[in-house]
Amino acid sequence: MTEIHIPNLPPDVLFQIGSFDITNTMINAWIAIVIFLVLGIFVKRSAKLRPGKLQNTCEFFLETILGYFDQVTGDRKKTLQFLPIVGSIFFFILLSNWLGLLPGTGSITLRHQMLLRPANTDLNLTLAMALVSVISSHIFGFIAVGFFSHLGKFIQIKNIFKSIKKGPIALFVALIEFGVGLIEIISEIAKVISLSLRLFGNIFAGEVLISVISALVGVFIPTPFMVLELLVGLIQAGVFAILTIVYLTIATSQPHRVEEH
Amino acid sequence: MSNTDLNLGEATQDTSLAASLGLNTQLFLFQLLNFVLVAIIIWFLILKPLTKKLEERKKIIDESIDNAKKVETNLAMSQQKFDETIARAKHEANQIAQKAHDEAEQIGLEIKDRTKNEVAHLIDSAKKAIALEKEEMRLELRKETVDLVVLLTEKILGEKLDAKKNDHFIKEMLKNIKN
Repeated sequence: MTEIHIPNLPPDVLFQIGSFDITNTMINAWIAIVIFLVLGIFVKRSAKLRPGKLQNTCEFFLETILGYFDQVTGDRKKTLQFLPIVGSIFFFILLSNWLGLLPGTGSITLRHQMLLRPANTDLNLTLAMALVSVISSHIFGFIAVGFFSHLGKFIQIKNIFKSIKKGPIALFVALIEFGVGLIEIISEIAKVISLSLRLFGNIFAGEVLISVISALVGVFIPTPFMVLELLVGLIQAGVFAILTIVYLTIATSQPHRVEEH
Repeated sequence: MSNTDLNLGEATQDTSLAASLGLNTQLFLFQLLNFVLVAIIIWFLILKPLTKKLEERKKIIDESIDNAKKVETNLAMSQQKFDETIARAKHEANQIAQKAHDEAEQIGLEIKDRTKNEVAHLIDSAKKAIALEKEEMRLELRKETVDLVVLLTEKILGEKLDAKKNDHFIKEMLKNIKN
């Protein structure tokens, strides 16, 4: 039985460039960036109306996720509007997760540190993506429904002034709505935390599991777990992307008007 | 322990929790930059060209379907026009055939009438010619008879009549015959 290397929660700093720490998760993210760059150059050069093998494969994946996104937005135009953010999130998370299953991840070391580690086992990255997801939903919300209409979903102070003349029940309802608005603000923070921690937790747990199993039994036994991790990587990318598009769709929909009597 | 010490303790605990999870401002900004970079690459080099081509293809397919529908409609209209033209031509052909038949019938009747008239005229002419010939024959016969009577009378009388006597005798005879 080999020595078990259980990864730490924070990413390992491999070296420094100036005063900047370079971590093993960053290396993994950069590999993903390079892969996307090379793939992107080939796709952009070979994009034709009559697709080749590469374009066909990429279009297959794209059409598949567009179908799922359409089910959420209910409109292809809206889906294409959100695609730059949601598509990037989905494909980046998917490739990063799957890159973590390549041989060498967790086993190649540099100065007793793992050289490669799945990018999404870094909470900084998952938090950055979660913030991009939630903040972009608000930016789209401001653009789609108007600044004050979107802000009114969270700070419902206007109804309090309106309800003063209508009587105590209306005032009570308005106060409750104001409270709900405040809870909505908290839920926005919760969205960021849940999105980032869910992805981080799942991928980190998978990495720990693979590390432990691989250390216990080196051959054959880790294979089913790696297949499971392939599935987990796909599911987590899907969950993150679908939740993002749900947030975007909700934020860009008109707020419910309270029926006035 | 004072309140200040307690607050300081909580703040240190929060920082240590974030640090234990690996949260770090510098790393966060780096990873944010990485994500922005990857998003730009994915969108501009992969998703945008692919969606553009998909839309172009969809547009071409939609246009082709519309064109096919138009061609189908035109074909149906052409077929309808063709059928109408054929029906009209048939109707006109029938009318022409009927007219030709009627005209032929009319011409036949006219020819029949004209032939009847001509036949009647020929019969009439023949009748007249026969009547004329009959009259001539009658006159010839009378003359022959007279000559024969004169010759017979001469034979009976035994003498030859001179021209003057002869004429007188003939006139007498003719008078008697007429009476």
